[in-house]
Parts: sequence; structure tokens; C-alpha cells
Amino acid sequence: MLLSMDNVSTGYGKAQVLKNININIEKGEIVALIGANGAGKTTTLRCINGVIRPWEGCIRLNNKEINSLQPFELVSLGISYCPEGREIFGNLTVFENLKVGGYLVKKRDKLNSNFDWIYSLFPILKDRRNQIAGSLSGGEQQMLAISRALMSNPMLLFLDEPSLGLAPVVVENIFATIQQINSEGTSILLVEQNVILALDIANRAYVLEKGEIRLCGECKELSRSEYVKNSYLGII
Amino acid sequence: MFLYLLQQLVNAISYGSILGLLAVGYTMIYGILGLINFAHGEIFMIGAFTCYLYVKFLKIPWFIAALLAITTSVIAGLLLEKIAYRPSIKKGSSVLTIFIISFAASMFLRYLFMLFFTDERKAFPIPAFFEKMYFVNGVVIGLRDIIIFTTTIIIMIAISYFVKYSKLGIAMRAVSYDSKTANYMGINSTLIIKTAFVLGSVLAGISGIEYGLSFGIVNPSMGFNPGLTGFIAAVLGGIGNVPGAMVAGFIVGIGEVLFVAMLPSIYSPLRPLFVWVLLFFILFLKPTGLFRPNVKFEGGWGE
Repeated sequence: MLLSMDNVSTGYGKAQVLKNININIEKGEIVALIGANGAGKTTTLRCINGVIRPWEGCIRLNNKEINSLQPFELVSLGISYCPEGREIFGNLTVFENLKVGGYLVKKRDKLNSNFDWIYSLFPILKDRRNQIAGSLSGGEQQMLAISRALMSNPMLLFLDEPSLGLAPVVVENIFATIQQINSEGTSILLVEQNVILALDIANRAYVLEKGEIRLCGECKELSRSEYVKNSYLGII
Repeated sequence: MFLYLLQQLVNAISYGSILGLLAVGYTMIYGILGLINFAHGEIFMIGAFTCYLYVKFLKIPWFIAALLAITTSVIAGLLLEKIAYRPSIKKGSSVLTIFIISFAASMFLRYLFMLFFTDERKAFPIPAFFEKMYFVNGVVIGLRDIIIFTTTIIIMIAISYFVKYSKLGIAMRAVSYDSKTANYMGINSTLIIKTAFVLGSVLAGISGIEYGLSFGIVNPSMGFNPGLTGFIAAVLGGIGNVPGAMVAGFIVGIGEVLFVAMLPSIYSPLRPLFVWVLLFFILFLKPTGLFRPNVKFEGGWGE
């Protein structure tokens, strides 16, 4: 088991957002976390990342408890976070953004091979490598954000709403690349509002509603479930 | 007249160097924390004044005293960050609150030194070696002026390279822009912030010692005016922009000295006016300063 959240509850201040969350991720999987706005998806990621602490429950990475770690410590343990809204460093160039992503990579040749890997996944980033990141298009910024997260060679990559605000063609391209990244060995936790995309690409999914796991299972089954079809896919 | 201006230019270049270093320190700290460290002028004063103290009272050889003084500046800067700024930032205090805290820290340091040493002006120790003068075509150039200028230029080139190309420099710029996301990359933002304070304080300390060498006089309230002018230069250079601050420091310093030099001496007290008028005009024409600032503008004003 790569990552496990056992009976985790948390919130902000006095407001409880998550109740008894149980999520598992196995090595090599793409696991989707889907739900409406405000269901608690980003909160879940923030909790694993150490931005907020669990009130109850335990989060384990490779069977080691990580409840009380700081966000920056998780990168060296193999978790990388691609935040909602991209959050690229708009004042730095594409190259510098990637370099920041690879901040903890000590060996120069490893860093260079990471750059080569990124450039092969997203050739346009190579073309634009000396461009100021703030001037990139939305799709390019998303590619940069994902690549930046990959520069640290994570075991587990968190993608927070990668389709947000992007044109369908661009999204298709990015999601194809996400699958490729997974096939090359990176496990992925995907938070997505776009349920169709999420169920299409992931192995398993958890449906989050008002801070609780409503459903979980293999994506093939979930996309056939009446409940999911009614509530999330608009199919009556 | 021309010779007179040329002579003043020599002074102006020294003063510009001093301001440039101060401005870079200001801009680095503002860039990384979004706060104006008003006590930066006092770090400058601590560099100069403790150098004087170490030489005069502890009889330490000048060069070692200078190094110790710079170290003292760094310690002061780190203490400032830890005691005055980090707690309020962690609690999410408003910009105004932090502004006031910064001001209070500045007053505190200044009056602390005044308590022990009064505000009497003291003669800054200048090693005999530095007193050498050169006469070039009727203009007096001190060895000090040459050393001040050369040291400053070397430091500025080194810092430019550091900020632009080194891993730590890029990390600092990333943390400046978005410290939260920088954390997600594995960067310990708190450590980077401390590094910015260390660097800024080293520069302020060196600047203070250069001031002592150039003007020969130090006292606890010496940090106020250069500090303010240095801050203005930092704003002029595009806040958070290190090379910008360097250039702006020289422009302001050289401009201020030459401005006063060209006026009849009755108007000398108007010297600070120059800086404010310059600030007004440049911001009027280019509100973000001469060069591109290096902070994320969260929703501009009508952008």
C-alpha cells in the first residue's frame, strides 16, 4: 500500500470538512477523487500534504505515519503536488520553474535526464523554456505545473483539478500524457470535477460528498452505477 | 565649477554605492516577505556603530572588527526576523500591523543604542591604510572611495549572479512570488526567508561600514536618513528587483549629491527634498518603478 488515509477527520478552525475518510492508493494506480464543489476534495489533498492537520485518524505513506510532517518534507518522501489553479511561478521562466521543481534533486545528470523526460512529454515546454511563465497560455501553464511536479521524480503525484479552465482539446492532450506518466511508473491521485474524464482515465475512484466517502470502487463499475449516472453524469 | 562638480561626483559615487547596497537589502526582504523592514536602517547603523565600538573599546584590529560588526548585523537581522516578524506573519497580521511593528523595531533599536551611548556623534575609526589620497587632474580621490566603489560593484555582480543563476537564488525568487507553492516543491520557505534576512543584513552591515569610512562619523540615529533614502531607491528600482535596486541606488545617491552641489549652499537643507521629488516624478510616469518588480500582485488596481 503506497498511501492510506484511515478514518481521517479534519476541518478549518471549528468547521469540520472531512468525516471519517478512508482512502487507499496502491502502487501504479490512478485513483480519482471526484465530487462537487465544496465536497472536500482539495481539503483531502491539503490534509495529506500537511497544510492542515488531521483531527483524527492516520495518514500513512509506505506504512509510515506522515500526519505531522510539513509540506516541504513530503517531497523528499516521494509525494509531489500539482496545485489547483496551476500556481506556477509567474515571475520565473519555464526552465526556472522546472528547476525549482527539481530543487531536491542532488545529482546533476539525474536533473538533466528529468529535463529530457519532461521535454519529451511536453515538447512545447522545450520550445518555450526561456519564456516567462506568466505569459504562457492556460494549457501550457497546466503542462508546466504538472512537469514541475514531476521534476522531483515522485512516487505519487497529486493532480488537483488539472482540467479546470482549459479547452477540451487541450484537456484531452494533457490527460493522454497523464496516462503516459502513469504507465511509466508514477502513481497518481487525481482530484477532478470533470467526472467523465476522471472515470475514463482512473483505475479506481472515490466519490466524496459533503466531506464523506459516498461510494468507491473500480471506475468501470462506477460509471455504470445509477447513482453516479444520475448525480454526476446527468444521465437520467 | 566643473572641477567642483567632478569632486562632488567622487563623493556621489561613494554615496551611491552605500545607498545601492542598502536598497538591495530592502528590496530582497520586501520581495521575499512583502514587508518593508524599516529597521533595515538600524541594521546599517549597527554595522557601523559596532565596528566603532569593537575598535574603540575592545581594541580589536580594524579588519577583524569590521567582520565582527557585519556578523553582529546578521545576528540583529535574524533576531528581528524571529522576534518581530515571524510571529506576526504566522498569525496572519494585516499589512498595517506589520508596518507598525517594523517601525517600532526601528525605534527600539535606535533608542536602545542611544540609551547606552547617547546620540553623540563619534568618530569612525579609519585605518591609516585607508587614508591615502590621490590627486588626479585637480580632483581628490581617496583610496577609500575607490575601495568602497570596487567592493560595492563586486558585491553587486556577485549578488546578481547569485539571484539569477544559483539554485538558492532561484528558490528565493520562487518564495518571493509564492511561498506556499514553493513549499510544495520541497523548498523550506522559512529557511529561505532567513537566508534573505542574512544576506540583506550583510549588505546593510557592509553599507554601514562604508558610510563610516566615507563620512567618518557614526551615531545611533545615523540609520534613519540613509535607510529612508535606500528604501526609496528600492521602490524606484521596482520593488523586489535586485539589479533594479542597485541601479536605482546609484541614481538616487549620485543625483542627491549632485543636486545639492549645484544649488547655492543656502538650499542645502533641502537635500532630502530631491529624493522625494524624484520618487514622485518617476512613480508618476512609471508607477511600478523603473524596472519590473518581483512580487505577485494579487489583483491589481483595475488590472
